[in-house]
Amino acid sequence: MRVFITGVGVVSSIGLGKAAYFSSLANGESGIAQVEAFDVSNLGREFAGEVKGFRPKDHLTAGEARRMGRCSQMALAATRMAIGDAALPAAALQGPRASVVIGTTMGEADVLGNLDHAWIHKGASGVRRAWIPKYGSTLLSIHVARAIGAEGSVFTLPGACAAGNYALGLAADMIRAGKADVVVAGSAEMLQRLQFSGFIRLAAMAPAKCQPFDLNRQGLILGEGAGVLVVESEAHAVRRNARLLAEIGGYGMTCDAYHITRPHPDAAGSIGAMRQAIERSGIGVESVDFVNAHGTGTRHNDVAESKVMREIFGDRKVPISSMKSMLGHCMGAASALEAIGCIMTLETGIYPPTIEYETPDPECDVDVVANRARKGAHDIVLNNSLAFGGYNAVTCFAKPYKLPDPPHHQAA
Amino acid sequence: MTPRAITGLGITCALGTGAEMVFRALHAGHLAQASKAITSFDAAKYANDSSARVVEVPEFDPTTYLGSKGLRTLDRLTKLLVVAARLSLHDARIKKDNQWVALSPEGVGVCCSNAYGSLETITELDRIATLEDARYINPAKFPNTVSNSASGYVSIWEDLRAFNVTISDGNCGGLDAIACADLSLATGRAAAILTGGGEAMSEALFLAFEKLGVGGTKASPSVETIACETILGEGAAFVVLETTQGAKARSARVLGEVVGYGTSFVAPEAESVLLFTSQEAISRAIAQAIDDAGLAPKDIDIVASSISGLAQFDDEEFAAIEAVVKNVPICVPKRMFGETFGAGGTMGIVSALGWFDGAPVTALVRGAAPSRIDHVLVTTVGYYGNASAVVVRRPR
Repeated sequence: MRVFITGVGVVSSIGLGKAAYFSSLANGESGIAQVEAFDVSNLGREFAGEVKGFRPKDHLTAGEARRMGRCSQMALAATRMAIGDAALPAAALQGPRASVVIGTTMGEADVLGNLDHAWIHKGASGVRRAWIPKYGSTLLSIHVARAIGAEGSVFTLPGACAAGNYALGLAADMIRAGKADVVVAGSAEMLQRLQFSGFIRLAAMAPAKCQPFDLNRQGLILGEGAGVLVVESEAHAVRRNARLLAEIGGYGMTCDAYHITRPHPDAAGSIGAMRQAIERSGIGVESVDFVNAHGTGTRHNDVAESKVMREIFGDRKVPISSMKSMLGHCMGAASALEAIGCIMTLETGIYPPTIEYETPDPECDVDVVANRARKGAHDIVLNNSLAFGGYNAVTCFAKPYKLPDPPHHQAA
Repeated sequence: MTPRAITGLGITCALGTGAEMVFRALHAGHLAQASKAITSFDAAKYANDSSARVVEVPEFDPTTYLGSKGLRTLDRLTKLLVVAARLSLHDARIKKDNQWVALSPEGVGVCCSNAYGSLETITELDRIATLEDARYINPAKFPNTVSNSASGYVSIWEDLRAFNVTISDGNCGGLDAIACADLSLATGRAAAILTGGGEAMSEALFLAFEKLGVGGTKASPSVETIACETILGEGAAFVVLETTQGAKARSARVLGEVVGYGTSFVAPEAESVLLFTSQEAISRAIAQAIDDAGLAPKDIDIVASSISGLAQFDDEEFAAIEAVVKNVPICVPKRMFGETFGAGGTMGIVSALGWFDGAPVTALVRGAAPSRIDHVLVTTVGYYGNASAVVVRRPR
């Protein structure tokens, strides 16, 4: 069974909604700026890809906004945009054949932060009872399902930086296995001070720029946002004459089982995940036109990812680019936002650039789409994610009907 | 669903650590005994009877199973999960003396549920950042704050490379992990999958449920036989799931088979309501699981329920079970294991495995122990309108 993406929704530092997001990606616009959400004055780092133009009341009812943390608010806003983009009638999402899968890293971090700070400053009596049920990552998918009327599987996958790919992969597997007709899938993450401080303490954060594959890179820049996609079975999409944005092909996942924050230097796990994604799509490596890199801008990541490209594609230099140079590392939201960037490439042939690319790193012998977008072949792309905990996930997206018939990636 | 063989169990819980100890406790009819004194946090500032509302893993010492190296910066949740994982691999005869004797690292994956993450580390580091300085956060502990950290360490410690999926579906996560594992086996992503979950006791968890007035609450009178007080628990459990063909090919011992899964969600109508349970969602999940197993409701011998002592939730679950599976005995595994949230569904499965092993049925809230148990319906009920169920079958 073929599985299609029929709508996308975006809340990001470089634009709200598909049109603004695509335009920013194509033009190499950066969302990285001074953090405004919390005090960073004594932390030694002050830049992030913060979503500054997001007003919950533009997308949510007052009641919805009240019962959610920022992460869920962004997830639901992106969901509504995706449903609108898919022109999906409300009735199609209601009932047990519609499911929701949302990925994240920290979920409702602001809710826990507020509870925690009340406890620290006022003691147990200061902890507001009404806030407590608002905490829990499960609420991301619950809030979305509640708002749209879905009554099938309602899953939250805290798969860190690979969470979006996990959500899309699971959604596709569920549809192929006949367990759902339509799945709202994606991921969301919000910036928060504790996590911002922690990444600084890990010595992972760059001062102002994210420079994937650059010799003089200084580390990652955090970001936030939400990316949500409407995923439908072929039968469901065709029946309602839906516009097909892309097909989800094979999906590969592995675990490094090596280090909690660093990728394996041999990259065996990430090579395996990419190989699975290609083979499960029923294609050869020669069919891949573009790779969206995980591209965090840390040396460990960039070198490992370059090794993956060499191992998979040999001497053929497949163009690769990192949207994190513009978005920052949106953690749990990253791979869904980047999946949507891949959809743009399939639609337009535009490879989004890796901005801030100044000095090639000899250890990263890859064809980086440097600083300016490039146009090229755009039938089949890969979305790479190498996450915290050694979680590797790669998803193949293709123009509709460009992949071979599905037995190659059908559930057994 | 295609039946999936359970070929191993690793567990650390209120009844002890290791399948053998836990089965012995189940055979002896033990129920969870509230902690004499809480060890996972300083409870001195809380009411004198606070320990009566908490059950921890008794005398939990991870060094017995993991050695002493590398544990210093790991939090309690991680230690519980890694111990359960190691024990499950040994119980399944995939490893012996920490060496691989069957399958391979690339052939074994993880589907791990957890509801609340490492509240222990998050609140500790938040306190340091707030009262001292964020620059004093211990970078070695910071990774524990990330939701998939404990699950990730399971793969690292046990060298499990097929994949690792973390699930955070509140109380339903333990059973939703089964759904993820089933799909992964169906798509050939692994030969064996450690499937389960964990939850760790912490002061933040205790305080949250104290504030909600949950600790020590009693089930509704409609829950018939025994007083069922909510006892906060902790623990971790993994069952090893394999295809039945795979288990047979390596002559694995089969403890039970998961043969059906169902899940559903129904939202509350009132805008202001957040905590909610739906009889319709629970009924639907149960009916789906039974149908998925190719069974009829009359085939279910007993229910390992999610009843926990919260009247609102227990009443709906009780009614939902009655609506689909009439007059079936209903057991409360949380009387044995405490309320373990993300691990709760797995603990329900463990109850079933204990019964297949010959353990007597205890903690019944309705009906009498059946003379023979072939099919167990395990239910989980979330706090927000979600519910999941699985059917576990006696091995053939």
